[in-house]
Amino acid sequence: MLGLLFSSASLHAQQGRGYTGPLPNNPPPTSPVTGDAAKGKSLFFNYSCYACHGYNGETGARIFVGNWGHLSTEQEFITFLRGRATIAPEPKSTGMPNFAENTMSDKQAKDIYAYIRSFKSNAPPLKDIPTLNAIVDAASKPSK
Amino acid sequence: MKKSQKPSVNRRNFFKSAAGAAALAGATPAAKAQQTNAQQTQAQNGRNTGATPAPTPEQLARDAGNVRPPATARAVTRPGSDLMVEAFRNLGLAYVAAQAGSTFEGIQESVINCPPTPNKMPEFITALHEESAVAMAHGYAKAEGKPMLALLHGTIGLQHASMAIYNAYYDRAPIVMIAGNDRGDIPSHTALDMAGMVRSFTKWDAQPKTLDEALAAIHRAYNEAVTPPQAPTLIVMDSELQKMNAPGFKLPPYKPPVFPTIDPSKAKEIAKALVDAQNPRIAVGRLRTPQGSMLSVQLAELVGASTSTTAANGPMSFPQRHPLQGPGADTNYDYVLGLEARGLQASIIGPDLPSIVAQRDPQGIGFGGLENANANGGRGRVPANSAPPTTADAEASLPMIIDEVKRLMTADKGRLVADRTAKHAAANQESHIKAVKLAVENMRGGWNGSPISTARVYAELWPLIMNEDWCLSSPTAFSGGHNVRIWDHNKPYSCLGGQGAGGMGYGAPASVGAALAAKDHGRIVVNIQCDGDLNYAPGVLWTAAHHKLPLLNIMHNNRAWHQEFMYVTFMAGVRGRGTDRAWIGSTLRDPYIDYTKMAAGYGMAGEGPVSDPTLLAAALKRGVDSVKRNEPYMIDVVTQPR
Repeated sequence: MLGLLFSSASLHAQQGRGYTGPLPNNPPPTSPVTGDAAKGKSLFFNYSCYACHGYNGETGARIFVGNWGHLSTEQEFITFLRGRATIAPEPKSTGMPNFAENTMSDKQAKDIYAYIRSFKSNAPPLKDIPTLNAIVDAASKPSK
Repeated sequence: MKKSQKPSVNRRNFFKSAAGAAALAGATPAAKAQQTNAQQTQAQNGRNTGATPAPTPEQLARDAGNVRPPATARAVTRPGSDLMVEAFRNLGLAYVAAQAGSTFEGIQESVINCPPTPNKMPEFITALHEESAVAMAHGYAKAEGKPMLALLHGTIGLQHASMAIYNAYYDRAPIVMIAGNDRGDIPSHTALDMAGMVRSFTKWDAQPKTLDEALAAIHRAYNEAVTPPQAPTLIVMDSELQKMNAPGFKLPPYKPPVFPTIDPSKAKEIAKALVDAQNPRIAVGRLRTPQGSMLSVQLAELVGASTSTTAANGPMSFPQRHPLQGPGADTNYDYVLGLEARGLQASIIGPDLPSIVAQRDPQGIGFGGLENANANGGRGRVPANSAPPTTADAEASLPMIIDEVKRLMTADKGRLVADRTAKHAAANQESHIKAVKLAVENMRGGWNGSPISTARVYAELWPLIMNEDWCLSSPTAFSGGHNVRIWDHNKPYSCLGGQGAGGMGYGAPASVGAALAAKDHGRIVVNIQCDGDLNYAPGVLWTAAHHKLPLLNIMHNNRAWHQEFMYVTFMAGVRGRGTDRAWIGSTLRDPYIDYTKMAAGYGMAGEGPVSDPTLLAAALKRGVDSVKRNEPYMIDVVTQPR
């Protein structure tokens, strides 16, 4: 979900080259949340959201933790979900699907929103990841 | 291409009678005498009486243990397939992979028994599927820069292999294939023109009628496979030719292939331009062999040219971390030469697949639209303002250019080259460090997540192998391709790239082929294995275990054919039918597949499923240690989708 917002990162990830820019680090929205995050968790899985956004919103083709594009408010999120109905199904795409009201109710969308809003960055500071520091150190030396 | 004619006699009866005649003809005088005496005695004692004849003196003597058994002579003292094996050896074909099949048992017997025994040249590699056998040869070719053999069993084996052949064809991988043909056996396993089934995606084929033709065909198949455009070649080998006695035959003289080169005047022109340029650059694509990579380094160093490479995406290119690889200190290049790539002022690109389509696809099947392939011969987008390519093999042309550069180089120019090289090296190192820092910063995302991020798989593995001689054998696009950003691809075989035609079921068998290439060099092979891909023909894990290959399999187990999962999700959404059933048909759940148990069933050690990221590094370490002992290993890592 929330795919098209992050086009440059998404395109690269889809092509298997990953996004090489710094991690997005915008603060999460502070708007009210009315849904049930526990229900949203199973919906996030059942509606295949994890397929593009990873299980934590931090990996995959469409990262949204720290980016938060159309997630400012519940209503903006729902409007975004409904807004893709006119997209023609050609060519094939890994872009954001449409979520019509008859397939995902506003209540379900709000539950998913509540679950997404519970996501927090799971990324440790670089200094706390010895593996990545070792990689940078190795890059600084002549290669074999 | 030659086609067999229908035999004028029943071959089975012919061989039976021929064998009997040969046995008698080849018998020793003593044996003949024994046989004659026995026949006479039998005639005297048993003539038309119906009574049991009395034992002959010879029978009595034999019963008493007083005689030696009669001498025998074999009908076949030197089978035709022994000569075929000699030809394989002379060509340096080190391995032959096959799923057992009764149309090539003559060749198989010769491979394993042709003196000196035990025969290791070529070594027989046991495959569990013909597609695996050819895909092994595909991976081997990309790692080693030369072909190995695949044996296929008649029409059925060839059809099993066809997907792997198709991949190899699109990937320009040289492979020599032999399909056995036994026309006296099961009718459905033979065909009048067996090679016709794969003709439009092989480079050359033949169906020899005589042993002389067969031996010549082996030489030709090898030469056609290794010359550009490199591709699989096929010989349909009748079983009679494999089994016939050929005591007086000799191998025909082998004539090495001729590779098309640029003409000397073009070599001089390029060399002069490189030497005179203030800031030359060389774009290096995929050369034919490791020698080509070495020659490209030599040329770049001679003229102090910055270079670009495809080494992080495929084999046989310029070393990624060579000091001259990168944009260099100055990106205003005044002369750009392309080697199997497009350059702005000159491009040397070998003949590519479209050049053989008219010959190989007379029916106009047009697989993949190759006849309309872009002008870059499948090498991606053509850069703007690039020079029209000179059609020649860049690797074969390099020695001429190098010799000319050496002739033109002066002490003054040498000092300029040294100065330019130092500046490029410093700039490229700075650029590289900057890129790696940016990459690892991004890899922090999801670092502690479970399932495990694909970035963490690549990151945890790199420090464990960076000081080893390693080969990344698998395609990486579906697992994030994180190697591109943080690993150093410095050897011609560091990264073997994709499937060719994008056919799944390639990763595991191609990795086994890469491990065959690696095992004699103390090299380890890493296969980051997509789960959907492995399930096509997982029996190849047994091949790795059986032959004790240095192969580390790390599952990218996202429990789905994930690209398709995303496509179907999008489709269901835009059609307004909901995405909650998009998992049907594109996920691997209920039950999850246990790849450690799968590997164990094939005799391969391993561990998993690993879904806790804090346990990953230790598991990878155990895996690397195992393959360094030539014990292949499986680590089932449950991963994020991408």
